Amino acid sequence: MATLPHDDLYQLVREPIDMAALAQHVRAPEDGAIVTFDGFVRNQSHNRATLYLDYEAYESMAVAKMREIGAQLHEKYRIHRVAMVHRLGRLEIGETSVFIAVSAPHRAAAFDACRFAIDTLKRTVPIWKKEYFADGAVWADGELPPTPAATPRSESAS
Amino acid sequence: MPLVPLAPSRSTGYNSPVPPVSQTIRVKVLFFGRLKELTGRAEDSIEFADATTLEQLFALYSARHPDLAKYRSSVVASRNQEFAAWNTPLRAGDEVAFLPPVSGG
Repeated sequence: MATLPHDDLYQLVREPIDMAALAQHVRAPEDGAIVTFDGFVRNQSHNRATLYLDYEAYESMAVAKMREIGAQLHEKYRIHRVAMVHRLGRLEIGETSVFIAVSAPHRAAAFDACRFAIDTLKRTVPIWKKEYFADGAVWADGELPPTPAATPRSESAS
Repeated sequence: MPLVPLAPSRSTGYNSPVPPVSQTIRVKVLFFGRLKELTGRAEDSIEFADATTLEQLFALYSARHPDLAKYRSSVVASRNQEFAAWNTPLRAGDEVAFLPPVSGG
């Protein structure tokens, strides 16, 4: 695993996400572009009016997986800094649940990296949301993370 | 409560007999999302035979909580915070988690 630049940021928080501060965090004189992704709570799901969402995470693993995504970003794209923050707990309609900011010398890498980051986060980071409606609550449909194929008995390096 | 005189047997001393460490292991098990609701717990500590696999451990919990079985195909397992194949054997002190499909974002 590649080491991450120490000025990257990967966090789970329980308070509102300060998007401007995160965008500022990744901004540096040698860069020419920042692409951000703001994921926020929609007011409906499958044609039912959502009241609010409640997020939970396998917190230590989630942060580790977010950092893995960051390492992949630095390997794949010519980017400078990454800030990736996911909020947990109860979120109201319109509140930001996930925010990603990527800076780069040139815009193409920042766009590509930001897209890869949110797509991979949604597939591999152990976070779950429960959707609350007027008449009940359900765990949101999710994606099953890819797992290693069954292997003959051998201890993986871990 | 009446005091029972300690009468150590010659073979085991004061301690109650403990199986040799090579035969049973203890691991921590975490449940998330709907699996936590089904089992009624977020965390468990359980002892079982050494080299039990993730698959066998899930089956053990499914025997206690029959509703778990129907989610087997939509669950992934992790061992020490890495996604792991179902035939992965467990070791003493492992942290196992059973994870429903993830839905962050």
